[in-house]
Amino acid sequence: MAASAGKAGGGAGAGGASAEARAGKTGKAGKAGKGGVWVVAETNPDGSLAKSSGELATLARALADAGAGDAAGIVVAPDATAAAKELATFLPRVIAISDPALKDHAWGQPAAARIAAALKDEPPGTVLAGAGPDGRDVAGTLLALLDGAVLVNATAVSWADGAASVEMGVFGGKLITTSTFAYKGWKIVTVRPNVTTAEPAASAGKVEKVAASGAAGVPAVKVVDRLEESGAAVSIDDARIIVAGGRGVGGPDGFELMQQLADRLGGAVGATRAAVDAGWVPYAQQIGQTGKIVKPQLYLAMGISGAIQHKVGMQTAGTIIAVNRDPDAPIADFADMVVVGDLFEVGKALLAELEARKG
Amino acid sequence: MKIVVLAKPVPDPAAAAERLGSDNRLDRSAAPNVINGNDEYTLEAALQLVEAHGGEVTLVAMAPASGAETLRKGLAMGATRGLLVTDPALGGSDAWSTARVLAAALKEVEFDLVLAGFDTSDGVGGVVSAAVATLLKLPYLSSAAKIEPNPDAGTVRVRRISPTGFDVLETTMPALIVGTQLLGTPRYPSLKGIMAARSKEVAQRAVADLGLSTEGGGSAGDGAVGGSASRTTVTGKRTPPARAAAKVVRGAPADAAKEIVALLAERRLI
Amino acid sequence: MAAVTGTATASTAGTGAYRLTEDQILLRDTLRELADEQIVPRAAEIDRSGEFPEDIRQLLARHDVLALPFPEAYGGVGADLLTQCIAIEQIARACVTSSLILSVQGLGSLPLLLSGTEEQQARLIPDLASGKRLIAFALTEPEAGSDAAAARTRAVRDGDDYVIDGGKRFITNGSVADIVTVFAVTDPEAKTSRRLSCFAVEVPTPGFSVVRLEHKLGIRGSPTAELSFDRMRVPAANRIGEEGDGWKLAMGTFDRSRPGIAAQAVGIAQGALDAAVAYAKDRKQFGQRIGDFQMIQAMLADMDARTEAARQLTYKACVEVEAGGPQAARWASIAKLVAGDAAMAVTTDAVQVFGGYGYTDDFPVERMMRDAKITQLYEGTQQIQRLVIARALLGKPAARIEGNEGNEGTES
Repeated sequence: MAASAGKAGGGAGAGGASAEARAGKTGKAGKAGKGGVWVVAETNPDGSLAKSSGELATLARALADAGAGDAAGIVVAPDATAAAKELATFLPRVIAISDPALKDHAWGQPAAARIAAALKDEPPGTVLAGAGPDGRDVAGTLLALLDGAVLVNATAVSWADGAASVEMGVFGGKLITTSTFAYKGWKIVTVRPNVTTAEPAASAGKVEKVAASGAAGVPAVKVVDRLEESGAAVSIDDARIIVAGGRGVGGPDGFELMQQLADRLGGAVGATRAAVDAGWVPYAQQIGQTGKIVKPQLYLAMGISGAIQHKVGMQTAGTIIAVNRDPDAPIADFADMVVVGDLFEVGKALLAELEARKG
Repeated sequence: MKIVVLAKPVPDPAAAAERLGSDNRLDRSAAPNVINGNDEYTLEAALQLVEAHGGEVTLVAMAPASGAETLRKGLAMGATRGLLVTDPALGGSDAWSTARVLAAALKEVEFDLVLAGFDTSDGVGGVVSAAVATLLKLPYLSSAAKIEPNPDAGTVRVRRISPTGFDVLETTMPALIVGTQLLGTPRYPSLKGIMAARSKEVAQRAVADLGLSTEGGGSAGDGAVGGSASRTTVTGKRTPPARAAAKVVRGAPADAAKEIVALLAERRLI
Repeated sequence: MAAVTGTATASTAGTGAYRLTEDQILLRDTLRELADEQIVPRAAEIDRSGEFPEDIRQLLARHDVLALPFPEAYGGVGADLLTQCIAIEQIARACVTSSLILSVQGLGSLPLLLSGTEEQQARLIPDLASGKRLIAFALTEPEAGSDAAAARTRAVRDGDDYVIDGGKRFITNGSVADIVTVFAVTDPEAKTSRRLSCFAVEVPTPGFSVVRLEHKLGIRGSPTAELSFDRMRVPAANRIGEEGDGWKLAMGTFDRSRPGIAAQAVGIAQGALDAAVAYAKDRKQFGQRIGDFQMIQAMLADMDARTEAARQLTYKACVEVEAGGPQAARWASIAKLVAGDAAMAVTTDAVQVFGGYGYTDDFPVERMMRDAKITQLYEGTQQIQRLVIARALLGKPAARIEGNEGNEGTES
């Protein structure tokens, strides 16, 4: 069962225009035929706009103001109406593509195909996508469909010398590199959550409904079932505050205290790999090398030693407070505060103190 | 079943010795290379699938020549053979180039499934797999926690992590699946496997063998691959500002709690 | 001898060089990871409880570790001596008791591998290689330690069997082994080197009993048994080699097993060094980490130098022993002598680096120090090793000496 490859430089469902032609094309829209900044929006299961998309839209506006071209957004969803309306509060122009087939199909590839089709007559510009699993799926597919270039995991994006300048952390955050594109075709940037704060524009923009006509031109991946995992928690991906527990929490019951603290602080609960492997919390809450990389404003580490595999997942957090019995645990080397003590005693005292404060 | 596992040799994260070279590209000789951690999960899944359904696992990688040695562990774990695309011109390749090269390499391999890791410890991008799938027109299933092929029916089911739990996806084979840690703990190579790895083949291909070219500037978009065709460039680097030394708080929990709250208030987090 | 020599070596014996092959490096790294993840967490408890770690035995069997010393034809890995020693070293770093499971499996099997008939090997080796059965080596007696040739356990031919009476002491794994390699006197009138024969005793069997287990300073999880044989019958088909070959077999065994003890000692030293270095980086006194003090640095440097020297010597000894020749015994003894003393010194210094904390069981170094001592005692005390080396220097062949002056060597 040998597989066949797409033509070099082309791909399915994107209109088949050759790379050279696309690179030189000016097409319609955009001031002086210049490419714009396009936000690939993501939606929540209930159809509302994902929080990270508001952040991307704000970033796109900032880039547009710095000379990057017009900012616009694209929403592809089973019913894009609500999210597109919301996105329009951030951007002057939103293309809404409702594709009912997406209700029971995997999203990433078909969405990218729709986006590529929508962009085919536009001059090559910059596309911003989220760096989470869905954003990556779209970004990677667009990379092939648009014969583009990509920079990933941006922690800062600015506009300089006519191109996007992108910062990203490498080597587990030990180094920050700045990169730019050496390419005139489509340029894609995947952006981490919490890089910008979402800010609506002064006035709402326009929504253009575009039909999702014809086959998406990518292979179909059908959703045959949806399984709910009990206790699926608040997502840590874009949480502002994370209360994380490690091996010291001792069991699923101990994580109730973590949840109470998170609730009180308005945050989410995270965990180290040890806690996930022990089955105390689902994998979705794992932070670290094989889990998620997060950048909350506050990371409260309860009973976490700070070994490198976990460190790389959270060391860029704004404020890191560790509660640990061992004052010499590795986490002390990169925390702002280390509280030496039992995590339950300190945790309960902190909860009490926070309750008292709120009155 | 014939399963391909995309396995990338990366500098060992545990050695914590990664650095950029003078050309601001990753210095791949700075630390001993290992198979990317996330690729070990998909390799484990592949090995379990061929144990259940029969068949073989082929490792495919794009790396410097030393990559053949790095793949040895994968062979020792039980993969049947390796295919290494190696070419000095590929040093400094960007994601697009990498995707083109891997797609070209896969064209000469027969497979029912291509498995890829969630992302790599050195690049952490996670976009190459989707690009490869698109170039090869393969159905693409990502964030897999469980992979269940049905070879007789020519279909495969995948449990994909979703915000509320899991979505169960189904498609026809051949397909490309991106895995996660939930696929299961990778096995240690058995000692017999280590000895057997010696006689397993790692075929090598250069850019020209794949019908690709490194000529021309990547900016013109003419399909060239390799470092000189890279469409991105590193313009600078800096070390992030170090935090001040941690304030160590001891004493009664109630007092410690007050200190924490004071810091949170000072930094306007509450 | 064919069953013993491994096929995996890329060594260059006699030319003064050796080089680790890629297999050996991968094996070393794999076992290090396995030991760090699965054995280190158990080590303290094994020592504290004094219980034989059956789970570790299963772990080693599952990962083909116990198959290392055996030929591929019988389900083994066919590893050469250097590869076996690399494995022992990595496990000993984590837990010496656990490393003994591997080294004794090799030691107990050596007579069978050196001199067993094809029938015996085909019958007994597969289960040993798979780890399904454990084997022990029983030479030492209460009155025959360093003077092993003074053994009194008697084996008398009776029809198709031998009847064995007597007992053994200090037998590692004696209470958990399924096969005990027993050395017994078959010809009391013969000269020293021809008195003994060697038997593979499959237990349990009537007359075989474990009298007691020793309470030891270290390697507490390793059962060290006193065995008693009371009119115990062993089929003549289980006699290894000819009657009278026992002494020669025992001595031939030590040439191959002593480098294993040296490797064990190197592993112990390395584990202690790693612990001490980590502590020196973390522990702060007088406002700085103790690793910044020169006296600590000097200790750590000496510990490292000594450990590395012992390691290189051991690896080289493996290659020389594997190649055979008249210098084999000298190499084996030098390695064991140097490495054993290094382990004792390095672990003692490791406790010193930890200060008072090193004396408590909060940290592993006190256990490592206790464990290190045995490497100076078993498989020939350090004094016996010196006799072997001196004999090699003074012109007598390093092979076994005929007659009474040749008495030497204990076992583990």
